Order: sequence, then C-alpha cells, then structure tokens
Amino acid sequence: MAARPSSWSILTDPLIRQNPVTLQILGLCSALAVTTSVATALTMSAALTAVLVLSAALISMIRNHIPGSIRLIVQIVIVASLVIVIDQLLQAYLFDISQRLSVFVSLITTNCLVLGRTESFSRHNPPGRAMLDALGNGLGYSLALLVIGSIRELFGTGAWLGWQVLPTVDQGGWFTPLSLMLLAPSGFFLLGGLVWALRSVLPEQAEDPELLPPDRPEDIA
Amino acid sequence: MKQGLWDRETVALLLLAALLPMLLAWLWDGGLMAAGRLGFALVVSGFWHLAFMLIRAQPPSVAGVLTALAVAMLAPEDLSLLQLILGISFGSVIAELVFGGWGRNVLNPATVTLAFLGFGFPAAPWPDLALPVGWAAIPALGLGVLFGVMALRLVLGAVLALALCLWAGVPLAPLLPVAGIVLALLVSDPVASASTKLGGWLNGALYGLLLALFAAHWQGAAPVQMAVSAALLASLAAPLLDEIALALWILRRRMHHG
Repeated sequence: MAARPSSWSILTDPLIRQNPVTLQILGLCSALAVTTSVATALTMSAALTAVLVLSAALISMIRNHIPGSIRLIVQIVIVASLVIVIDQLLQAYLFDISQRLSVFVSLITTNCLVLGRTESFSRHNPPGRAMLDALGNGLGYSLALLVIGSIRELFGTGAWLGWQVLPTVDQGGWFTPLSLMLLAPSGFFLLGGLVWALRSVLPEQAEDPELLPPDRPEDIA
Repeated sequence: MKQGLWDRETVALLLLAALLPMLLAWLWDGGLMAAGRLGFALVVSGFWHLAFMLIRAQPPSVAGVLTALAVAMLAPEDLSLLQLILGISFGSVIAELVFGGWGRNVLNPATVTLAFLGFGFPAAPWPDLALPVGWAAIPALGLGVLFGVMALRLVLGAVLALALCLWAGVPLAPLLPVAGIVLALLVSDPVASASTKLGGWLNGALYGLLLALFAAHWQGAAPVQMAVSAALLASLAAPLLDEIALALWILRRRMHHG
C-alpha cells in the first residue's frame, strides 16, 4: 500500500487535480441541471457537500460493521435519510430555491459522486479523514458548479447572483442576453469547454488517445 | 503524388464551384451589404482555421469558405458583430475543428452556427432570401451532383418528399426557394449527410418531411428558421439512417447466405 496521503492533500486534491466533476466526470446530471443561476448552483453545492460529509462520517464510523454483501443498501439508506433531512430543511428555510431545484436535491441520493466517495474512501478510512475527503470533494463539486453557473447566469441574463452586472437591452443597456445559456445544451458545451481548458493547462489529466495516427498520413489513403 | 486528385480540398473546391451560381445570385441581390457580411464571416472562419493550424498543426481547409458562405447567407439579421463572431467561432470550433478538421466532423459547422444563433438570439429576424437565389439553388444542386460531391439520392429523396407533401396539400409553396437553398448549402454537405445509398434517400426524405411538418404546424416561424431546423435534425439523424441501411444490408446478406 502506498504511503498515506497527508490530510492537506486529501482536502485539496479534489479541488482541481482530482476534481470529481471535471476529471472523474461524476455527478454530472445535477451539475448540468442546476447551474442556470448561481443561487441554485450554490444551494445545490451546499446541500451536496453537507450530505457528502455527513454520510462519510456515518459510514466511516460503522465501516467495520457493515457486511460486505449489503454494503450498498446500507450506504444508500444512510445517504437517502440525510438527503431527506436536507431537503426538508431547504423547504423550510429556502422555499423558493428548493422549488427551483425541484427534484434534484432528492436525487442527491443517487448522485454517483456521493456513492463513489462512500464506496471508495469512507469504507476504508477513519471518520476524520473520510470527512476531510468528503469536504474536499464537495468543495471541488461546488467549484465546478460555481464556474459553470456563473458563466451561464452572467451571459444568459447579464446578472450574477441576482445583481445586474451587464445592463441588458430591455433595461436600456447594451447587453443582449444569450438565451441559449439558460437552455440545457449550454451546460454540456460549457462543461466540455471547462474540461478542455483544464486539460490543456494540466496535460497530465488528459486521457491517452485510443487510436494513434500513422506516422505518414498518406499511408492510410 | 501518392494521394491522387480526389483529396479533401478538391471536394471542398468543387463544392464551392457548385455553389457559385447561388453565391452570385445572392451577391447580385444583396449588393455591398451581402459582400460585407460574407467578408466578415470569411475572416472569422479563416481566423479559427489559422489558429488551429498554428496551435494544433491541423491543415486549414477551403471548407471554411463554405461555412462562411452558408452563415453569411442564412444567419439572422440585425446581429451585432460580436454576436456573429461568437456564433461563427462556436460553430467552427465546436462542430468542426475540435474533431480534427473538415471531414471528421459530425455536423455541418454552418448548421451548428445557425442553430446557435437562432436559439441564442431568438429575437433577431431571419433573413428573407430573394427568389432568384432560390432558383439558383437548382443549378447549384445540379452542378454538385454532376461533380460528384453531392449525393443525387439525397437530393431526389428531398424533392420526392417535398413533392409528395405538396401534392397532399401541405402549404409548402412559399417555403420551396428556401428549402432548395438550405438543401444545397447545409443538407447536401457530403461530410454531414448520410453516406450509404439507402441512407441518402432516407436523409433527403427526412429533410423534406420535417420541413413539411414545420410548415404545417410551426406557427410564426420564418422559412429560413424552419429549413435550418429541419437541416439540423436531418443531419443529426444521418448516422442513424446509415446505421439502419447497414443493418438492413447485413440482414439481407444473412438471409441470402445463411
């Protein structure tokens, strides 16, 4: 077994270097759905991070008592209970945003990011480290959501977190909102662009090509 | 010369030559404004081809001119330069250049640009193309088929489907000039259309049927908007149509040869 990574690297690795969204491509369903505005993206990030950290703590505490054959069921039960609690809290205190997030908070239960972390990390590590790892992954997810959400809200409505940054034509300004940004396809484009940009800056994240071109292109002609 | 005459650039140049009648008719009608639009689209498209040549060593292609031509003719009017730059950059880069250049793309970059502009700025009015441009689409398609760079089956499939729908009473008549123009500019693109024989028929027919569907049921849409949407959906379906043609062929062979 390799040397145990330090707590600091457990926390900071998932931010950029091992980002769950842009490198491991996990949790995309919600990441694409809730990023039409920064407010929903932030709420969703907070909800997911809370669920992730708490479930990591609980599962890590009982990791030596979970029978291997039913571990997924146990994990899902724990995650689902936490999700219900968080969902009720959101409905109680942030009703508007919870309406806009609609079903996606409940779907945290099936978010592959949550199950991925509990399955691959919390099951093998003590609670402290598991929670750190969960927090790092939650923050990495939040970072990706924040970037995509900011771009979509800024160019889709000219606002950022509700503040009008670019005056739109309707309000007598000069900025024509790009309505495409509020539609689902732009989430895919932006995420693809983000992954591309990250892998251009950090080439070690790029996957190996599946096919190599021949040395002389005319050979295949 | 190991590759022979028929490389990618020959096809692009022949396509360009085939489209010349339409281009000339459009320039004749649009005058200086049209020429300015075309020049601007050429510059943006050329810039991205150049950028990808310098950064990723991808050979630039004359196909960039085709993209610029289609975008200049069909893009919504009243867009600011910035919006046009954004649209053409998006189409050229995301639909063509990131795949490795013309010939490896899935969709026609001009189709993607137009869809992007249409969805992104729904308030901008779509252009009205003059009737002579619509007539010029016929020699353009004819030349393309004659040169062997457009598929006769695809064109015939579209014509048949349109004729059938017209005969059945769908109010298609005002759409026909635009239907021809978009057929020549976007749908017949040899890269983005179906490449099997049966697939070509189906691809053309699908375009015609979608256009008829839009003409009958899409209230308040401009002719160019309907035609571009039909072209986008038809070229999205092209790989599926090819797949169907291949599956049928394999099935037939299995029946014949056990």
